Amino acid sequence: MATTDKLDGITPESRSGRELMEGVLFASPYLIIFGVFLLLPLLIGGYMSLFDWNALAPAESTFIGLDNYARLLADEQFQNALFNTAYFAVLTVPSILLVGLGLALGVNRDIKGQGFLRAIFFSPYILTVSVAAILWTDLYSTQYGVINYYLGMVMSNPPQWLQSRLFAMPAIALTTVWWLVGFSFVILLSARQSVPEYLYEAAKLDGAGTWRQFRDVTVPQMRGAIFFVIVINLIWAFQVYGQPYVMTAGGPGQATETLVMYLYQAAFNQRSFGYASAIGYVLTAILVGVSIANYYLLGGDNE
Amino acid sequence: MSEATADQSQRQEEVGSSTTTGFSMRNVLVHVAMYGAALVFVIPYAYMISTSLKTSEAAVATGMNWIPNPITLGSYIQLFATSQILQWGLNTLLISSITTLLVLLIDSMIAFSLTRLEWKGQRYLLALIVASFMVPGFVNIIPLYLVIAELGLINNYLAVILPFAAGPLGVFLLVQFFRDIPYELQEAAQLDGFSNFRIYTRMILPLSKSILTALALFMFVWSWNQFLWPLIVLQSEAAYTLPIGVVVLRDNFTIQPALTMASAVVASGPLFILFLLLQEQLMTAVEMQGVT
Repeated sequence: MATTDKLDGITPESRSGRELMEGVLFASPYLIIFGVFLLLPLLIGGYMSLFDWNALAPAESTFIGLDNYARLLADEQFQNALFNTAYFAVLTVPSILLVGLGLALGVNRDIKGQGFLRAIFFSPYILTVSVAAILWTDLYSTQYGVINYYLGMVMSNPPQWLQSRLFAMPAIALTTVWWLVGFSFVILLSARQSVPEYLYEAAKLDGAGTWRQFRDVTVPQMRGAIFFVIVINLIWAFQVYGQPYVMTAGGPGQATETLVMYLYQAAFNQRSFGYASAIGYVLTAILVGVSIANYYLLGGDNE
Repeated sequence: MSEATADQSQRQEEVGSSTTTGFSMRNVLVHVAMYGAALVFVIPYAYMISTSLKTSEAAVATGMNWIPNPITLGSYIQLFATSQILQWGLNTLLISSITTLLVLLIDSMIAFSLTRLEWKGQRYLLALIVASFMVPGFVNIIPLYLVIAELGLINNYLAVILPFAAGPLGVFLLVQFFRDIPYELQEAAQLDGFSNFRIYTRMILPLSKSILTALALFMFVWSWNQFLWPLIVLQSEAAYTLPIGVVVLRDNFTIQPALTMASAVVASGPLFILFLLLQEQLMTAVEMQGVT
């Protein structure tokens, strides 16, 4: 009897009541956890951002409206962190896309050891951020580091990397590309492999060379995957924390202090919970904005 | 399948050689570029393993000796003897395992409810869960910390497990997958008098083994590697996870690359073994995220 209802698309009241009960029952374990540990904190955060929050006696917090947000606009340390984070995103996102795409197109070719190469390029992604960061801190070391050992052979004054205002962020970015590119590489490779081969044959018949094939077949066909890779990497980049925390602690000076580091510092060192919540909300606004902008710029007419 | 691809690549070669004479030259260049890149990718691993097997003096010596001389396990012995790394490993294993199991259970249940049962409001609920993708986890750390503190969970594994299990990724992937299981099967089962619970346990779950395995692996690796949140809520040294532990160790042993690298090997070793055994499933889990 249950089946005929479904086939006809008509659901009698008694049955729909039971399905509602069972439906909610099956959904509830996740919903409770989702509600308590994701939704509720999000709402509390918005609420807190309107207060000069008193961490010791929350009840005595004073409501200050949007003052925290106004304070952010004038806060130089916030501007610096915002700039650093954007700079990090500019350094990493295009690099990850280009390196990932290059590796994917290379591995997709008629190449020996395809599976082996795929595993190698993906593998750093399974490291934890602290291991990747500690490892590269050693590689960049000016005393015993591998990189400057070899650079020292070809140049007399290799960069001071993590101790240098100029090179610290690019060094962190390079580490990040190595660590994370595997994720994007696997997605791009899989997208490239699902481009139908006949499109290339048709393009070749039309006399399209490698570049034209890339521009007119590969890129449009992989558009969805490219869009996804850009958005997910932007979202990760704006939340960067572990690499600078471990490699430079935000230094030298505040040259590599990022938004999340500043948020953490405001919350747990200065106990300005309300102010830190406002930073978090601004970060969310940036990420939502970035995602929507990308959707309109790149992903809009996907199908 | 393999015949078809062989055929295809042969055709490709024919087209290639007939249009460009430099085909094989190009092929050589591609090999050089790809294996060159692979070498660059593994240099950090080589450094990590090689340094961990050096004496502490040799590890800071100038000049690069890729093969340690002498090879010693001294750093590993010192590491296990003087730090709580074993405890941290157990903590990490426990947290990742429970998170993974919990995610599989609750995510498959709600995905079943959202795709296989019909009830009012389920669409809005799915939309809400999917929208939460856009909320960066870090935004929540302060209010979440207060919630955790209020519940008395600081230093408790649950403080890490429960927020990790709230993420929407698994729900999203499973909803996509469950949707594609033919409804005729479910209707036949219902005709046979199967309850929804039995349909969930006997039909949907067994049919979804592949995606559940992929999701499990991804969740395991992801929760194993989490850094910022455990750093905030696991404040006593005995409760640390490996990602926190290695950083604390590095700060304690100033400039002791042999020890630091040994701890890095210990912290990432288990995942590397898992990766070597199950790399296909793990990469499938990544691919699925791109398809959506």
